[in-house]
Amino acid sequence: MANIDLDKMLAKVKSSQWALADIDWDAPGADLITAEQWPKLKAFMADLMWIEHVGARGFAAMAKKAPDDTLKQIYTYFHAEEQRHANAEMALMKRWGMLDGDELPEPNKNLKLVIQWLDKYSDDMPLEVLGSVIPMLEIALDGALCTFLLDTVDDPVCHQAFARINDDESRHLGVGFHVLEMQGRGDLYIKALKTVATVLDPRLILGIASYVPLLNRMRDNVVAMGLSEEKLYACMKKFERIGGRTAQGRRNPWYQIISRHGRMVVNRDNRTYHAPVDLMVRLTDYIPERLMPSRVPTWVKGISYRPTA
Amino acid sequence: MSNENQQNQDTTAPAPAAKKKKVATRKTAARPAAKKAAVKRKTTARKKATAAKSSRRSTAQSKRNVVKEASVVIVGAGFAGLGMAIRLRQAGVDDFVLLERAEKVGGTWRDNTYPGAACDIPSHLYSYSFAPNPHWSRHFSGSDEILGYIEHLVKQYGLRDKIHFQQDVTDARFDETKGQWRVDTRQGDVWQGRAVVMAQGPLSNASFPDIEGLSDFKGKRLHSARWDHDYDFSGKRVAVIGTGASAVQIVPELAKTAGILKVFQRTPAWVIPRPDYATPDWNKALFEKLPLTRKAMRQALYWTHETMALAVIWNSPLTRLAERLSLIHLRSQVKDDWMRRQLTPDFRIGCKRVLLSNDYYPALQRDNVDLITWPIARIAENGVRTCDGIEHQFDCIVFATGFDVPKSGTPFPIRGLNGRELGEEWSGGARAYKSVSVAGYPNLFFTFGPNSGPGHNSALVYMEAQLDYAVAGIRRILDHDLKILDVRESVQQRHNRHLQKRLARTNWNSGCKSWYLTEDGYNATMYPGFASQYRRQMARFVDQHYRRVPQTGNA
Ligand SMILES: Cc1cc2nc3c(=O)[nH]c(=O)nc-3n(C[C@H](O)[C@H](O)[C@H](O)COP(=O)(O)OP(=O)(O)OC[C@H]3O[C@@H](n4cnc5c(N)ncnc54)[C@H](O)[C@@H]3O)c2cc1C
Ligand SMILES: [Fe+2]
Ligand SMILES: [Fe+2]
Repeated sequence: MANIDLDKMLAKVKSSQWALADIDWDAPGADLITAEQWPKLKAFMADLMWIEHVGARGFAAMAKKAPDDTLKQIYTYFHAEEQRHANAEMALMKRWGMLDGDELPEPNKNLKLVIQWLDKYSDDMPLEVLGSVIPMLEIALDGALCTFLLDTVDDPVCHQAFARINDDESRHLGVGFHVLEMQGRGDLYIKALKTVATVLDPRLILGIASYVPLLNRMRDNVVAMGLSEEKLYACMKKFERIGGRTAQGRRNPWYQIISRHGRMVVNRDNRTYHAPVDLMVRLTDYIPERLMPSRVPTWVKGISYRPTA
Repeated sequence: MSNENQQNQDTTAPAPAAKKKKVATRKTAARPAAKKAAVKRKTTARKKATAAKSSRRSTAQSKRNVVKEASVVIVGAGFAGLGMAIRLRQAGVDDFVLLERAEKVGGTWRDNTYPGAACDIPSHLYSYSFAPNPHWSRHFSGSDEILGYIEHLVKQYGLRDKIHFQQDVTDARFDETKGQWRVDTRQGDVWQGRAVVMAQGPLSNASFPDIEGLSDFKGKRLHSARWDHDYDFSGKRVAVIGTGASAVQIVPELAKTAGILKVFQRTPAWVIPRPDYATPDWNKALFEKLPLTRKAMRQALYWTHETMALAVIWNSPLTRLAERLSLIHLRSQVKDDWMRRQLTPDFRIGCKRVLLSNDYYPALQRDNVDLITWPIARIAENGVRTCDGIEHQFDCIVFATGFDVPKSGTPFPIRGLNGRELGEEWSGGARAYKSVSVAGYPNLFFTFGPNSGPGHNSALVYMEAQLDYAVAGIRRILDHDLKILDVRESVQQRHNRHLQKRLARTNWNSGCKSWYLTEDGYNATMYPGFASQYRRQMARFVDQHYRRVPQTGNA
């Protein structure tokens, strides 16, 4: 599975496009959201929507880096698809009365930091970094969270939307792992050098500083919604399992770093990891508003819950 | 076989090119299977001609078949065809006809009348040196002024009677026993000539993109090269698909009238400033009174453009400089950094056509204009659906998507010696000798043939060289009463090996996708060198490079 024909994948992606207009957002079932669920779901959806959007920006950066035209095109499509997920999730929020008028929900502070980082540095990151971080984020935050959501929400329109979203995601993961393997094939030595060099790159350290608390924060979100933490962790392990299935995939140094990190996130007993990170999460909550990045990049404003424009 | 032929002739729906070809080749000797397979790979460029033919062919043959004769048959009455006519006349050849499928002359400049249409090579260079015009009103003239110039050529050289309108050529075949080309038109006429000049234009067939649901759209559809001047854009919701040379001219104009304008971009191009200005009257008077000043102007423009070859054709420090200038242009005109990112090309400058505009970027930033870079998923009844899941609804979609350029195949079937068919031979990419002659197809002359395209200079500079080369060939056929004047296969091969070697080092072949290249990345379009090199190569007609058979002799 992991070794796929990219040309066929591109054709498949092109033929699997869907639009918000394909879903009847006013169909009955919105009232299946319980009053008790509503506030937590609202927070959760807002974060989820932003994560899709952030993932979208990641793919935009990857498209610039892609080593060949097919992969470049695939990433360009994925960029749009993540945006579509964000749009669809916003449409669900609209349906559930979770939007303040037409306003975009505010991203949480961790997300703001990630957005800031992506805007500033993602285009300069080598494909090796993005190619590993994105599948990880996709599985942990996107793919996994969506599955959880369906466990707790009964609204059929939500299920319709996520059936399509998950279908897209399966292709994102397929390509993600394929690229992981592709990269594993290179000269190990050069790879290692490059990796070390990028790790020392202060821009990347900044990125990690905002990405790491984001994971823990989403974990807290999930737990708040009454979903089992184990399921999230099971998904992160899936990254390790699928990504590490072949020797090439395992050899990718980024895969190693990130799966090791994933393991730490999963292991609650690892106090040396969680104590400081949880602290970081709490600390970001205390960053005064005026110190947060003030200028919102324009790509952030492109989300819309309206099927037509 | 004849049964199948019958069926094909009777269908009114356009037959697929491959199927139709079988019929077309029926008359010639049986072909090896491999050739048939090659036929299947025919490009879409020929579909129109062949498909249309399938429905008309029977009428063509049942009609009287009056054969009209001329020494030279010229296909097309655009810049190339008319220029050919003028040069032939100046060389003392007066027995020629021009076959034009439309009702007017002008080609490109008759068809491209969209708001803002203009040339982007200065008019004093984008005109024939043998028919100068001191009156150009601007540095870059608009479409109507260029068309006026072309119409003036017809009058000045008395060509009107030589042009036969509504003669859409659908087939050309060489009769080697007589040394005659037979040219069929859709209207059922048959023309015969000792030589044929292909001047049907490289960019004369409008092309629509391969987007699902294209015909589902219920609103107005327009192609940039088929403008509808009766359609009122004011207050309308308008889409422009494509961001190439035509789009950068259309967008600033439509932005002024349309209510909402959305521009759909797949790949951003390099855009550089356009040094346009109106020519003051005293200057025009000067050009008229002292032709030397006009000539000096043309020379100056010519050499400026020649220098640009260094930036555009090859990867040199000038390339980097040109890129930097273009990026400065972008940075000074576009404030938002995300939009700048969307508009920044990720290929080397020169790999595709470089665009000239001062008002394209500003237009994109107007309140009523949106730049959309999401891929298009499909076109629906009410608009365009992009892959971010949104349907953009429109009253009108403008396709600024360019032309079907035959890089492989020919616009209509061309049969040479022993029934060989040029489209088949070119299915892997077109090849010719000096862009004008093709071995196996005697007495046939191409304008804008394979590897004749300029990336940096006026197409007409190249054209003049081709016209004079063709005149040299035609004069040989007529003066020496030749049945066959056919470039030698080995000479053509050597020429192409050399060309491709040089092309490999150019920016066009540096990895971007463009209409210059075939699907397989073969460059059959551009000439890898300076205009001066091209002209030098064309100035010599080497007789030893051609096989000659006199009318009286045996083939
Ligand atoms: C919008 C636009 C801008 C351009 N700007 C420039 C520029 O600034 N500088 C530059 O150097 N080049 C420019 N070009 C390229 C331009 O096409 C050439 O410079 C030149 O006009 C081509 O002349 P032509 O006679 O070869 O072809 P055309 O002008 O296309 O004329 C061909 C004629 O043949 C007729 N024809 C076609 N097929 C048949 C058939 N089967 N039977 C009978 N008749 C037929 C057509 O109707 C047409 O009248 C531009 C092209 C376009 C589209
Ligand atoms: Fe997603
Ligand atoms: Fe995804």
